[in-house]
Amino acid sequence: MIGLRQRIGAWPTTLKVPLIVAVLMVAISVVLSNKVLLRQSETQQRHLEELTAAYLDGLSASIEPHVLREDIWEIFDQLERARSGSLGARAVNSIVTRPDGRILAASDPRAFPSQGQLPPPLGARFAAGGALVLDEAAGKAFTRRALSYQGRPMGWIYAEIDIRDLLLERREVLVTLILTNVLLTLLFAGLGTLAVQRMLRPIGTLAKHLDRGRGGDMEPIPEAEIGAQHSEFGRLFRRYNAMVEAMNEREALAARLAEEEKLASLGRLASGMAHEINNPLGGMFNAIDTIERHDGDPLVRRGSLAILKRGLLGIREVVRAALVSYKGGEPDRPLTPADLDDLRVLVRHEVQRRRLTLVWHNELPASLALPGPPIRQAVLNLLLNACAASPMAGEVRFAASLQGAALALTIKDRGPGLPPDVAALLESDGREATPPLEGRGLGAWMVSRLVGELGGRVRARAREAGGTAIEIVLPVGEGSGLRDVA
Amino acid sequence: MPSRSAQGGWPIRSEIARPLDRRRFLGGLGAVAALGLGPGRLAAGASEVRFGLTPVFLSSDIELLTQLRTYLSAALDRPVTLVMRRTYQEITALLLSGQLDAAWICGYPYIQYRERLSLLAVPVWRGRPLYQSYLIVDRAGEARDIAALRGQIHAFSDPDSNSGHLVTQAALAEQGETAAGFFRKTFFTYSHRNVVRAVASGLAESGSVDGYVWEVMSEIEPDLTGRTRVLWKSEWLGFPPIACAKALGETALAAAIRRALATMGADPAGRDVLDMLRLDGFTAGEPALFEGIARNYDLVRALG
Repeated sequence: MIGLRQRIGAWPTTLKVPLIVAVLMVAISVVLSNKVLLRQSETQQRHLEELTAAYLDGLSASIEPHVLREDIWEIFDQLERARSGSLGARAVNSIVTRPDGRILAASDPRAFPSQGQLPPPLGARFAAGGALVLDEAAGKAFTRRALSYQGRPMGWIYAEIDIRDLLLERREVLVTLILTNVLLTLLFAGLGTLAVQRMLRPIGTLAKHLDRGRGGDMEPIPEAEIGAQHSEFGRLFRRYNAMVEAMNEREALAARLAEEEKLASLGRLASGMAHEINNPLGGMFNAIDTIERHDGDPLVRRGSLAILKRGLLGIREVVRAALVSYKGGEPDRPLTPADLDDLRVLVRHEVQRRRLTLVWHNELPASLALPGPPIRQAVLNLLLNACAASPMAGEVRFAASLQGAALALTIKDRGPGLPPDVAALLESDGREATPPLEGRGLGAWMVSRLVGELGGRVRARAREAGGTAIEIVLPVGEGSGLRDVA
Repeated sequence: MPSRSAQGGWPIRSEIARPLDRRRFLGGLGAVAALGLGPGRLAAGASEVRFGLTPVFLSSDIELLTQLRTYLSAALDRPVTLVMRRTYQEITALLLSGQLDAAWICGYPYIQYRERLSLLAVPVWRGRPLYQSYLIVDRAGEARDIAALRGQIHAFSDPDSNSGHLVTQAALAEQGETAAGFFRKTFFTYSHRNVVRAVASGLAESGSVDGYVWEVMSEIEPDLTGRTRVLWKSEWLGFPPIACAKALGETALAAAIRRALATMGADPAGRDVLDMLRLDGFTAGEPALFEGIARNYDLVRALG
């Protein structure tokens, strides 16, 4: 029942309204037809009763003296005369009997011979009081009248009236009513469909634009189309356009903010990188000095060259990680385990500066059908935040693993915990949330936005022993799975 | 309701007959009233002639009655009133009591009251002043002789009709039977045409009818007579005559009526009347013509 109601509820209004009109029309016509037919049948019956009463009055007055004398011929002659024309050209079969049921004369003597008895089945069809009994199946009406003379019962007149013409008339009225009502219902349902379609056309326009907006391009409704609408739809369209404009502005603002955040983290990273490069540089210059001073000692040279090489390797690692993050390459490049491991290098400076312990569990077995760059960006943001929030010499844990068809990334710290508004921002779908206009929470907004675009979700919870655990769960698309496994 | 005189008697009723014949042959009460009471006085000084018609005679065609009255008025040079009643008995009583100058009666009352009546004329049908009585049954009926009618419902035309009552009574009397004992039920329709209707409709299983009426009806209303079959025909008997009270028999008026009837065929208006009646003319006739009826009368009376 509920399912049916829901299914009907899902029908388009352009169908439902004409259907309701049609159903109402049918209901009205059924009620009206019923009334008309009832009235007609009552009128017919009353008319027939009056005619029959007049017929029997006339007949009984004319045959009573003959019945008294049992004058068969005169009774028959009167019945024959009365038969033609008394009841609106309706055929009437009349039988006159004595009180004991013996037939004196009948208008059809062959069927009901004189001196015979009235057949009991026929007698049973007449109402005891003489009321008119209609047998619609047989197309006949039955009535009878008692004959008496000076209060003494003399017999009965039985009349069987052919009412097929009345029934036919009733049927004709019924057919006419049905035809008229069907035609009218169809006509009104059709008109209703047209009218509703016309009325709802603006809704269609709006729905079309909203559908298109789901793909990301919110387009305002052209002014030419709005101009034609003078009703509430015109206002609706203008409001929709204002909303589209606001959304597009917000979108543009978000993009600019994201870019700014990227640049900001780049700045932080650049300073970190400078440290990363600067740290080995001191050792490397020392090694060069050593080589210059002890040029002839191959042992010292080999040792110094090894220091130089390690220093350069470290620098190259940093540079490469930075390049991967910020030079881009293909944006949809699949995520590899190395993409995540690179981040260790990028946050190393921060880890060292705050003398943190970074516990790293990257259990990603192979590359995944997920775009690498945005995930790196999000994780890097969270790692940098975790490092910044951690107390000196604290512990930051990172874990990446596959859980069924999803990639789970966890970042834990021992910091004071996230402010509730930032946590809410993080857990929201960043595509719909408004970007924070002050600096705080911009990073969280970006993460939720990036994860949201990949169809994933972020959960931030306070750890029991203090600190925050942030978990990102990203669905790995069906059929994509582990690319390098195959 | 039309009067009984209008529906009684010879042959034909207006409702059913063919248009031409109906127009010529039939009529209704209105006509009778008009004929009886209308002005129509041709000779201002002469007294009116009252002419009775028993229901044995066709009683209903306006045109026929008008023509007959017109012819008689012209021939007698006096106003004529045609008088009709439901039963033979009423006309006979009027005739005997002198309230009618002449009347077309049946042979049976003529025989009953022959001592008090004078014969004026006898119609000639198919060349003879004779006719027969028919016993008719349903066309589809099984009966092949009178004996087969025992226990049936039988229709007579009039108690004083020769062909519609007396002849059948006599035929039964020859077998030692009476109508009341032989038939289960009998009734009178007071018209020969109604006897045919009663048998045709099935109300009666058999009927006694004037052979002349049945034959004329079979020309005019074959649908009605077609539903009946002649089971038995009587001997030839004297045709219903025109008579007057014996006291008037030798008057100038009686002579004038005799002459008017006898010369009817020579007059165009009279010829029309005869054509309508399907008669050849009128003859003076002899009381001996009705001997057969007298015999039947005696036979029935003897049986009680």
